Amino acid sequence: MSYQEKNITVSLVSHLFIMVYYLVNLFPIVQSGEWIAGRLYGLWAIVIGVNILVTIIGSILTNILLTIVEAVRSRKYEDPRFITDERDNLIELKGTRVSYITFSVGVLISVFAFIFGQPPLMMISLIFVFSILAEIVGDIAQITLYRRGM
Amino acid sequence: MEKRQVRNNIRKLRFQNNEMTQEQLAEKVGVTRQTIIALEGGKYAPSLELAFRISLAFGLPLTEVFSYEAETESTSK
Repeated sequence: MSYQEKNITVSLVSHLFIMVYYLVNLFPIVQSGEWIAGRLYGLWAIVIGVNILVTIIGSILTNILLTIVEAVRSRKYEDPRFITDERDNLIELKGTRVSYITFSVGVLISVFAFIFGQPPLMMISLIFVFSILAEIVGDIAQITLYRRGM
Repeated sequence: MEKRQVRNNIRKLRFQNNEMTQEQLAEKVGVTRQTIIALEGGKYAPSLELAFRISLAFGLPLTEVFSYEAETESTSK
């Protein structure tokens, strides 16, 4: 597994955790049907904040851990070649495209939910769900491309 | 239009160049080893710049490293 694959796997796992956290907190609101703006704003703020933090911290930690593992394995400190090349960039672009399509479809579904009588807060909650889902699908697409060897 | 595919002799040329490893070639041309594996397996067509860098690494003209051939049954799948 290459450095990029490990990085994407960390990103995928963190996005999955964020998705589970969001859904666990959103579900009681959906069930009760009480769309209280204050509660939802708090939840959205947490999700956005955690997403940014996890992305930054996850990337730094992965880098440090991989350097340590590499140094222990080779029994000497060498600057590991954590480079990205044109193939990595192409795979990242394809992953971004998949994320973009997923998010676009999600926004469309959310807007239709609003048109068919759902409250506006539900529409925005759904957009949040699809934004995290888009990240997950994009990560999976990238891992699949790396596994296939493209 | 006839379907064509970029093919290469990288594996053969590596062995002819003192059994150069994939890692050594990757370092020489500034890509990851995974990219060299994908190139050798015919799963990835390089950019023109990378193709030139690989040719320079072997000290050969581009056409002796890469070719543009018609896709066969096995490669088109």
